[in-house]
Amino acid sequence: MELVTIAKRNNPFKKLKAKMWRSKYLMLMILPAIVFYIIFNYIPMYGVLMAFKNFKPKLGIWGSPWNGVDNFIRVFEEPKFWDAFRNTLIIGSIKVIIGFLGAVLVALLLNELRMRRTKKTIQTIVTFPHFLSWVVVSGFVFSLFSYYGAINSLTNFMGGGRTNYLTDKYFFFGLIFASDIWKEAGWGSIIYLATMAGIPQDQYEAADIDGATRLQKIWHITLPGIKATAILLLIMSVGGVLSAGFDQILNLGNKLVRDDIAIIDTYIYYHAIVGSDSAGVGTAIGLFKSVIGFTLVIVTDRIAKACGERGII
Amino acid sequence: MRKDRLERLPLRPRRSSRETKIQAIDIIICIILVTYALLILFPFWSAFVISISSEEAYLQNNLLLWPTDLDLSSYKKVFTNDALWGGFGITMILLIGGTLYQLFFTVITGYALSRKNWTGKNLVMNMILVTMFFGGGMVPYYYLIRDLGMMNTIWVMIIPGAIDTFNMLLMRNYFASLPAEMEESAKIDGANDIVVFVKIFLPLSLPMLATIGLFFAVGNWNSWYNAMLFIPDKKELWPLQMVLKNLISKVSSNIENPDAREGYSEGLTMASIFFTIVPMMCFYPFLQRFFVKGIVVGAIKG
Repeated sequence: MELVTIAKRNNPFKKLKAKMWRSKYLMLMILPAIVFYIIFNYIPMYGVLMAFKNFKPKLGIWGSPWNGVDNFIRVFEEPKFWDAFRNTLIIGSIKVIIGFLGAVLVALLLNELRMRRTKKTIQTIVTFPHFLSWVVVSGFVFSLFSYYGAINSLTNFMGGGRTNYLTDKYFFFGLIFASDIWKEAGWGSIIYLATMAGIPQDQYEAADIDGATRLQKIWHITLPGIKATAILLLIMSVGGVLSAGFDQILNLGNKLVRDDIAIIDTYIYYHAIVGSDSAGVGTAIGLFKSVIGFTLVIVTDRIAKACGERGII
Repeated sequence: MRKDRLERLPLRPRRSSRETKIQAIDIIICIILVTYALLILFPFWSAFVISISSEEAYLQNNLLLWPTDLDLSSYKKVFTNDALWGGFGITMILLIGGTLYQLFFTVITGYALSRKNWTGKNLVMNMILVTMFFGGGMVPYYYLIRDLGMMNTIWVMIIPGAIDTFNMLLMRNYFASLPAEMEESAKIDGANDIVVFVKIFLPLSLPMLATIGLFFAVGNWNSWYNAMLFIPDKKELWPLQMVLKNLISKVSSNIENPDAREGYSEGLTMASIFFTIVPMMCFYPFLQRFFVKGIVVGAIKG
């Protein structure tokens, strides 16, 4: 009789049940999250099977016939896809670099500015564009660079005539980077400014006593002080290289330059969602992109760790 | 030598003189930053000038830096434009309903994940973290939304966005940083997890709640992506930004032939831009610190 009670008391299932019962309200709170993540994140992951199928909406994902790697072959044989792939790598990596340099430069300048009031006003102005959508920014681009826009008015006024900038694909590459800097550099600087504010002030005082110039102080104190943050943020941004800014490219582009500035995401949108490519092909491109993106993250993380920095994974 | 320098040290710390004396380099830095700020402001100004000018002035390109005449007809058209007001209504629904909805689910998830080991917590946490590195991609998501019957409904802009992983982790870290003793003593007094959350943790995290709520609000105000992808056929459900996107793509559709224009659509477009950004411009200077706080906390802890 007694042995049975002890066995009951030590029954691991009973313990688990009791523990679960104690945290029943927490489990209730997490339940919606589980449902949402399964529906909106895990079901699409299951949908990746479409990449290996000849997807027919009527038959569903599982019911559609397999076709091996045919979708991938079709994608890789398409020269326009490789154009988009190349554009993605170029645009994505240049954006990471100039975004980083721009943010650090703005942060350094703001950090060195001693006029408090001016500093605050400038900060408010330069961080604001981050909160505009690319739709609005594309409107600004039109107001500046269209045939009758501000820049053309200026060149025309000075006797240079008008140029139809918005039909020129080389111009667009510059525009992509310039508008990205315009929108994000100020906002990106905030995190570096906060890190700079956390650098102990006595280091600067000691440097003052040794007669260091301002440039020396920036080089030997401020920049080493933000190194860890910078590396962390750089690793995090590498994962986004292959995204390269769908919102931006889609909104800035127009039908004349659409193919020239296509990136993987806009390629998927124009070809597999509004276009005539099959869903399987679109999924295959998406899978290709996320596999490469994931590899990039892992590789950068390993490199950072090998160099003795804190990784993210 | 060394002793010499030490003796010549001023009694008052040097920092005070560093702070007061303005050198040439300070002026240069100031000039660079002011130029930068002006470059940020210039597109706003240029769009504004177009929006308050007449078509003749626009075409005669006198709109260099200042308006040559004052013509408010573009704004009149904006305020009588049904599509824009319709979009404004939808955006307000997203702004209020969507933000509260996202806030609710993101915060309760963050709270549950911040509490100490309950059964399955690590499993759920890993399940969520995986989604930050892997996703199905645009096409499977598109078919999912279609199969859920959310195409061309307003729900597609609200329901899927319930939990934003980044903000949820922000909230979780914040809850975890609050002293756990409060929870323990309340539990001894017989409070359950929901009571502890609502009565103790929620009131303590109002600043963080405001920060996250503002990020959601901006996201909803700027929402157009879901409408473009999933509401292509029902223009009356388009939010403001999508209506604006449509206007802009109309004016830029005849770039090959800039003289084949219909009406003064440029003025209308620029005026609509101000219709969508003026509310944000008014609030931003006062709310800036919340946004700054959010990103700083997120980056340091995340």
